[in-house]
Amino acid sequence: MSFTARTLAILHKDILTEWRTKERLSSMVFFVLLVLLVFNFSFELGGFALHEIGPGVLWSAYVFASLLGLNRTFATEQANNCLDALLLAPGDRGAVYLGKMLGNMLFLLVIELLSLPFFALFFNLPVGDYLLPLLGILILGAASLASVGTLFAIMSGNAHLRELLLPLLVLPMVMPAMISCVEATAEVFKQSRVEMLFPHLQILGVYVVIFTTLSLLLFEYVVEE
Amino acid sequence: MPAQISTLFPALVFLSMTAALWAVFLYVPTEREMGLVQRIFYFHVPAAIAAFIGFFLVFVGSIQFLRTQQARWDRLARCAAELGVLFSLIVLFTGPLWARPIWGVYWRWEPRLTSMLILFTIYVAYLTVRSYGAEAPQTQRFAAVLGILGFVNVPLVYYSVHLWAPEQQLHPRQVELSAEMQHTLYLCFAAFFLLFFYLLQRRMKIEQTSDALAQIRLDLGDEP
Repeated sequence: MSFTARTLAILHKDILTEWRTKERLSSMVFFVLLVLLVFNFSFELGGFALHEIGPGVLWSAYVFASLLGLNRTFATEQANNCLDALLLAPGDRGAVYLGKMLGNMLFLLVIELLSLPFFALFFNLPVGDYLLPLLGILILGAASLASVGTLFAIMSGNAHLRELLLPLLVLPMVMPAMISCVEATAEVFKQSRVEMLFPHLQILGVYVVIFTTLSLLLFEYVVEE
Repeated sequence: MPAQISTLFPALVFLSMTAALWAVFLYVPTEREMGLVQRIFYFHVPAAIAAFIGFFLVFVGSIQFLRTQQARWDRLARCAAELGVLFSLIVLFTGPLWARPIWGVYWRWEPRLTSMLILFTIYVAYLTVRSYGAEAPQTQRFAAVLGILGFVNVPLVYYSVHLWAPEQQLHPRQVELSAEMQHTLYLCFAAFFLLFFYLLQRRMKIEQTSDALAQIRLDLGDEP
């Protein structure tokens, strides 16, 4: 089996399990909803300055939800030692990482899209008008969270105090990506020209390429027994 | 390290630190606009560079450890991370003290300040991973992976923060210094670098000894 075939096999398996249980998707969307509520009450938003606060609120909710989902990435594999079996499969183990990473990215993107209508509703932002540029930011944001997130998920899954460790690792590392996501989203809501988005999207693109490549290279050392 | 050098090293650190203190407080003239508080500059800047040297050594140690699996590279990364965090704490403390009279507030979300804070959190996370997992080979590999990713993140953090708050840039791009100020700054650089490498050498020596002790215990069949 080629590298691509193995990557896609893992992706297919993850999508199938998620499709049958829907446990990650439903709980994460509900979680995003709750975070939006918490923000609404803690800032007493009531319709003011939403253009300025909105992007930050949205991405905070996504980041927290992603931590929730990432924690589950390898949890299902650890029961019955499925992870060992996956790693025993012949060929480059990078495929396991890439398959998992793409799966996480896809789940995150679906969650982002599913919770966007609630965001539009609660914060009175006409999200629909900006869907196309927003989609680009959402994809790159999901990819950057998934790139380091998947690697750290397997690290924290193997370590003591697993749930506690993941946010400590992920949050500081994704900071540059999150800053760019919030900034780019703010530019979209401000109806800036498309050129204003480019520098932020560039950082996001570079972030995804660098950290996906590095994670692929380093995955071997993380799963080594 | 030969015995003479290891006795000479602390003496050299002591002398250069004393000379640096003398230069900062007695020799260098008070800066015209900022006044006395500007003297923090001579500690602030060398500490920042020392912190970056620390983070760079974590990167080097991590790569080399994954390549060679030799414990000394892991020790280098571990000890350099501690020192990087320590020196960035010095930067993050002296910065606000200087900022209060000059900017009017202790903290501004200014690009360099923000970048330093984010880097600080990355390396605190690194040390947290290490402290959770004792010295199992797995923890060492995890830490090495983190040490590599963390350092690669440095330019990305810097650029993203820079784009985030361009109008907030409060650190001067270029500083013009009189001859006395230059001499003082060089002296402080020398003192801080000597201190950094002295602490690194001592710290690694301690770690080496404790690794050796753990090995002896293991050989005796005793749980450490």
